Amino acid sequence: MARSWATMEDFEAFLDGGGLVEAGDGMPDAYRRAVFAFIEMHANSELMGGLTERDWIPKTPGLRHKMAVLAKTQDEIGHGHLLYMVAADLGVKTRAEMLEDLFAGRSRFHNVFHYRAVTWGDQVAIAFLVDAAALISQQAVFKNCSYGPYKRILRRIIAEEGFHMRLGEDRMMRIAGGTARQRQMFQESLDRWFWPALQLFGPDSKPDDVLLRWNIKSERNEVLRDRWVQKFVPMLQGYGFTIPAPDLRWEAEARRWDVGPIDWAPLERTLAQGGPDSARRIGEAADNWSRTAWVRTALSDGSGS
Amino acid sequence: MHVYEVFVKKDGRDEFRHAGALEAATDELALVLAREGYVRRAEGDRLWVVRRDHVVAADDDFVAPNADKPHRHHDGAAVAARRKAARQSRQ
Repeated sequence: MARSWATMEDFEAFLDGGGLVEAGDGMPDAYRRAVFAFIEMHANSELMGGLTERDWIPKTPGLRHKMAVLAKTQDEIGHGHLLYMVAADLGVKTRAEMLEDLFAGRSRFHNVFHYRAVTWGDQVAIAFLVDAAALISQQAVFKNCSYGPYKRILRRIIAEEGFHMRLGEDRMMRIAGGTARQRQMFQESLDRWFWPALQLFGPDSKPDDVLLRWNIKSERNEVLRDRWVQKFVPMLQGYGFTIPAPDLRWEAEARRWDVGPIDWAPLERTLAQGGPDSARRIGEAADNWSRTAWVRTALSDGSGS
Repeated sequence: MHVYEVFVKKDGRDEFRHAGALEAATDELALVLAREGYVRRAEGDRLWVVRRDHVVAADDDFVAPNADKPHRHHDGAAVAARRKAARQSRQ
């Protein structure tokens, strides 16, 4: 057996000293459960995101972008695989149990995957705004994450998410330079996706947030959210689009954008699987899982696991 | 199904490095999944997969004694000081 700590104080002192926890360590149960829940939600989100991305493979315009979407879908599903492995090694749930819970609507995934992407403009908005929001969050976790296996796997996930974000920016610039109808399509998508993307960061972190105390996250939600706002508000305006925030204002002294009050009710609904597209998304994912059972059988050793 | 540990080596650089793990039914499928999961963009040109239950791992207690063997190090400071003193005495 690897390391263990007699008390929570000892364990927290170890974390405060920059210690990295490894899978075989005798970590406190509360830490194990917190880090597991965080990784499980990340894994679920990669899988749900990958399935949405897959839906757009036939509809993506142009061969080059279609191939890029194929690659991105593979990346996202691959991230799901990597993360479910890291999560399973914590010994809280097996991979099969995690998937079962996801398809039964018993576990969480990111709010943005509880909405439906209706137009190509939506896909552009997702790739540009949502992938960037996810990347900002992941970078902040990676920077100081106390759980070694997650930190190491995040390094490769972040590298690949970087490709996705650049792909999103490329798409946004193309649609921004398109016809009036294309620009209008993207503006409508921005109106639909700006707030969900912003809400991905969650409400302000609570002072006693254990994710922060145990270095699972390294920065507060509001700090990350603000980083995204300060980058994307001027960028979108620079391309001539309107930010769908009636109370948006430039604070000249602080030299920063304030988006005004944020309504957190939509986020809470998605966390309770009550988002606009939650039921369909979860149902589709579950159907997909049963339709693809033959692939798993073909790849298994016949034991059915 | 077995859990496999995945190791990747970059061309001409570094040692084989542990990249992560995966679940697969056979060695051959483990290699396919490792290629598609861990070396998607030329992250390396050599790949090992090792079944986790075949890894012989030492306990921390077994490794720990070697962390306390200062006589196995030599920082060179004393030698450098003597070398300098010898050089000065020759001048």
